[in-house]
Amino acid sequence: MLYDKIISIYPELSEKDFNPFTGTIKLKNDSDGKGDYIAKWEHPTLAKPTEEQLA
Amino acid sequence: MAQISIAGDTSGAITIAAPSVAGTNTLTLPANTGTVLTTASTFGGTGPAFSAYNSAATALSAGTTTKVLFATKEFDTNSNFASSRFTPTVAGYYQLNASVFVSANDAVLLTVISQGNGNSKSGSAVNIATPSQQCSVISTIMYFNGTTDYAEVYAYSASAVNTLNGTQYTYFQGALIRSA
Repeated sequence: MLYDKIISIYPELSEKDFNPFTGTIKLKNDSDGKGDYIAKWEHPTLAKPTEEQLA
Repeated sequence: MAQISIAGDTSGAITIAAPSVAGTNTLTLPANTGTVLTTASTFGGTGPAFSAYNSAATALSAGTTTKVLFATKEFDTNSNFASSRFTPTVAGYYQLNASVFVSANDAVLLTVISQGNGNSKSGSAVNIATPSQQCSVISTIMYFNGTTDYAEVYAYSASAVNTLNGTQYTYFQGALIRSA
């Protein structure tokens, strides 16, 4: 899952970072068969993972 | 005896019809000026209403805001609910209710009714200790323009869980309560 991959890249992230209202990262799944994706990445210090990192 | 004046008509006919049953019928008008009747297509009492429920569990990935699927409709009076999305074709104010259940009490469950225009309303979870479940319920009123606005239900869970399916657990409902 995308969440697990991101946590493995950035172990310092916690659940609070992904909260859809208060977090700086938003993962989304539209239940359309396309899977999870990064809808928002506004973390102040960590860069958005690249496709290669997430592969 | 006051005068009866019909103003504003340009052509055609105005018909005041009595029901086809015996009896005396009285139409009482309030001591105000305003519109007391409107067309059936926009009057709240006959406007769109739907109710659908989650008949097969939706998998919520950890840390991910996931669209909840409502595959089974109980009713959909104006055929405005499809693909788990409500797109009313009558503009106005709608009462919307949504409930999402999961079988876990550590899920940090949040539920969101999301409109295509960027608006959203959210509800947080209540723990149900026995059995170990969480339920997040939203009851809200939202305006829809009758053309492009739509509503979907998303749920967020801190841990990976499945929704608890069934008409009494995870459902989405709405009805027009006031025309635009």
